[in-house]
Amino acid sequence: MAASRLGSGQLTWGRLSSATEVVDANVSPGCYHCGEPLPAQPTLCVVGGEPRVFCCNGCAAAATWIGEASLDDYYRLRSASAGRVAAEPADFSAWDQDSVLAEHSRVVEGGREITVLTDAMRCAACAWLIDRALRQQPGVLDAGANAITGRIIVSWDPRRTSVSTLMARLAALGYRPWLATGEEREQALRRERRRWLMRIGVAGLGAMQAMMFAEALYLDTRGEMALATRDFFRWITFLVSTPVVFYSGWPFLEGMAHELRARRLGMDTLIAGSTLLAYFASLFETVRGGPHVWYDAAVMFVLLLLLARLLEQRARRVASAQVDALAHARPALATREDGSGRVEQVPLAALAIGDVVRVSSGEAVPADGLLLDHPSAFDESLISGESAPVQRNVGETALAGSICRDRPARLRVSRTGSDTRLSQIIRLVEQAQGARPRLARVADRIASAFVIVLLVSSAGVYFWWLRHDPSRAFEITLSVLVVSCPCALSLAIPVALTAANGALARLGVLGLRPDALTSLARVDRVVFDKTGTLGTGQPTLLEVEVFSGMDRERALQIAAALERDSRHPLALALAAEPAGLDASDVRGTPGLGLQGRVDGSDWRIGRADFAASREDDGAVWLGDGSRAFARFVIQESCRPDAAAAIAMLRRQGLVVELCSGDSEQAVRAFAALLDISDPRARQLPEQKVSHVRQLQAQGHVVAMVGDGINDAPVLAGADVSLAMADGAALAQRAADMVITNPSLLRIPQAIALSRRTRRVIRQNLAWALAYNLLALPLAATGQVTPWIAALGMALSSLLVTLNALRLTRMAH
Amino acid sequence: MAILLVLVPISLILLGLAIWAFVWAVKSGQYDDLDAPAIDILRNDVAKSEAPPSGHAKETDAD
Repeated sequence: MAASRLGSGQLTWGRLSSATEVVDANVSPGCYHCGEPLPAQPTLCVVGGEPRVFCCNGCAAAATWIGEASLDDYYRLRSASAGRVAAEPADFSAWDQDSVLAEHSRVVEGGREITVLTDAMRCAACAWLIDRALRQQPGVLDAGANAITGRIIVSWDPRRTSVSTLMARLAALGYRPWLATGEEREQALRRERRRWLMRIGVAGLGAMQAMMFAEALYLDTRGEMALATRDFFRWITFLVSTPVVFYSGWPFLEGMAHELRARRLGMDTLIAGSTLLAYFASLFETVRGGPHVWYDAAVMFVLLLLLARLLEQRARRVASAQVDALAHARPALATREDGSGRVEQVPLAALAIGDVVRVSSGEAVPADGLLLDHPSAFDESLISGESAPVQRNVGETALAGSICRDRPARLRVSRTGSDTRLSQIIRLVEQAQGARPRLARVADRIASAFVIVLLVSSAGVYFWWLRHDPSRAFEITLSVLVVSCPCALSLAIPVALTAANGALARLGVLGLRPDALTSLARVDRVVFDKTGTLGTGQPTLLEVEVFSGMDRERALQIAAALERDSRHPLALALAAEPAGLDASDVRGTPGLGLQGRVDGSDWRIGRADFAASREDDGAVWLGDGSRAFARFVIQESCRPDAAAAIAMLRRQGLVVELCSGDSEQAVRAFAALLDISDPRARQLPEQKVSHVRQLQAQGHVVAMVGDGINDAPVLAGADVSLAMADGAALAQRAADMVITNPSLLRIPQAIALSRRTRRVIRQNLAWALAYNLLALPLAATGQVTPWIAALGMALSSLLVTLNALRLTRMAH
Repeated sequence: MAILLVLVPISLILLGLAIWAFVWAVKSGQYDDLDAPAIDILRNDVAKSEAPPSGHAKETDAD
């Protein structure tokens, strides 16, 4: 079953091969567990016999537990840092309710089984850790985690433990679980996967046997075999090929039924038709004792096409699973109020229009609803990509999936379940994944026309031979049908695209639009739409100016004391300075800055108008509210791989541009660092779009790289758009492709891969066309027997598939 | 050619066994998780205890 391992197995090895990063992740000065920068007073703990530092109690507790459970190999095996662990234990007690268990879990031998989703699994080692950690819990019967699909399956004995305990364990390790869409759907997916494997297995074993018996018949070249022996072999071959044709070949038979009902001729009709023709003609000959049987052609046909189809499916699933998992992570429970004001936790499905639900701060809204009582702010980044919270007034609709960021809200439910906006968006994402790329549809149409031509010409061949040599007419017609089946033609494009998508997913690039890959190959200009995409997101202190007799060291110390516990991005640069002073009474004014007492006097730090009554100039000022004492210029630093990525893009013959909405100063600094000429600063989205249009008018094909937040129109204007995003809110980014890996090198790698894909598609098409044009006349003139025809056809399909699978090998 | 009457049924029985074994493997989930076992063999020391972790159940790191 080498084929069945391709998808997931290679992912593991692909990631493990970058094991050098493992060491870096562990010796970097960040938190031992999650790799984030350390606070002023890091938590110290002994793990695996050595003292380690942690950013917070959550990470320390997770690592201590991992160490005590003798699972600390995780830290050596992982290829990516873990996610930060929330310090407060999450409450999963609602999951123990019967209504939740009934919908999301199922009864298995000895207990219950549930499938949950998590978006925190970064590599195969995470899956390994979850697996072992859960199995060590008392009462757990079995556990399995899949890093590719983001799914965790666990079965437990309800008398010995509860699902909430297990979920709390997961959350304490940093893998916050979410309920999947429902046990039924999960089960259906798993059953489908297993059925495919069984079909392949039966086809493989059955076809091998059938071919072996057929070989015995072929070796009898001089017809010396006794008739009884010959018939015995024929009936045995019939026996072993029957399950292959009807069980393994069922997807093709089903496909034929669909196509015939829709009154069109497609690939499945031809495959199933040829198989059935070969099978029943052989049966007829077996009964009649005729000169030839073609069982081997039928089974070989089914087996090899099934293999090609499995590879295609698997490649598609790997590419879409991650997005799929995130799109389905929505709240599982709602807090409903009954008439008397009492609250109860109910599953989403129990919500009806008109119910009143409560959403506390930080929670996700369970269903679309009208806001009651008072206005509140909601983070709708999941739905619209807008990162700043949106203020909603009483009577306005809060959308399901948005997160309450303000005061707890009460809502009257107006739309539930699949009517909500979130569900509609999820459907869009699913459609995008299910849609076949335009290129593949074109190939389908060509193949479909080819099928008609083929049927007509084989009818012609049949009648011609009937007139000239009736004894060979059937066999030759069968050969024509089988040998020139345009399977290779119809596989040529989709299999290349899906293999490429699988390789992309392994790189950490997810294609959300089917045509993205083909557009990417034509790109000749890359426009970075935000400086943020090139920067680390971690600002560093560039220069310090002091006024009014303040000295530099002291200014930094005061600033560091004030900013110590702030999580504002600019604060991180200042808080990184050595401590020495302590601040008290620190209060923040959103959007302006902080104020507090340091060393007996009041200080303000933040925007110039807030800290020093001056005009805001983008720098951070330290003052007492009226006088200025220091000015800090803080700027984001480049990602370490930005220069290398841009150099690689240039080597590929691409022109790199920077077109940002940031200030002139910041953009120029970035452009100078990365040697980008003619940067554009302070660009409004409309200006960016018109710039892209202008480039397109000059005949350029433009790729836009942004972060997918607030720049949807710009990204949509480009020929192909890439968004850098990490972790959450993936599926919602308005881009053709999402890069989930933090490395910018993925962009040139993705472009290189798309170009190789284009090359492979051309090779495949050329091969498939040449093969069909060559094989058809050979078969029509009676040079090809049916089994050679099946072998030739299948080999040409296989060749096309294998050629495409070359794309899954990494190109570094 | 009488030997065929023995050998062919034997091969059919073996075929049936092979299919049964494969179906059993698929149904019992042998192919469900192809990731974690691959990691497992890379561990230096295999933790024998399936018991919940306790303070003294610590293993020394071979590195």
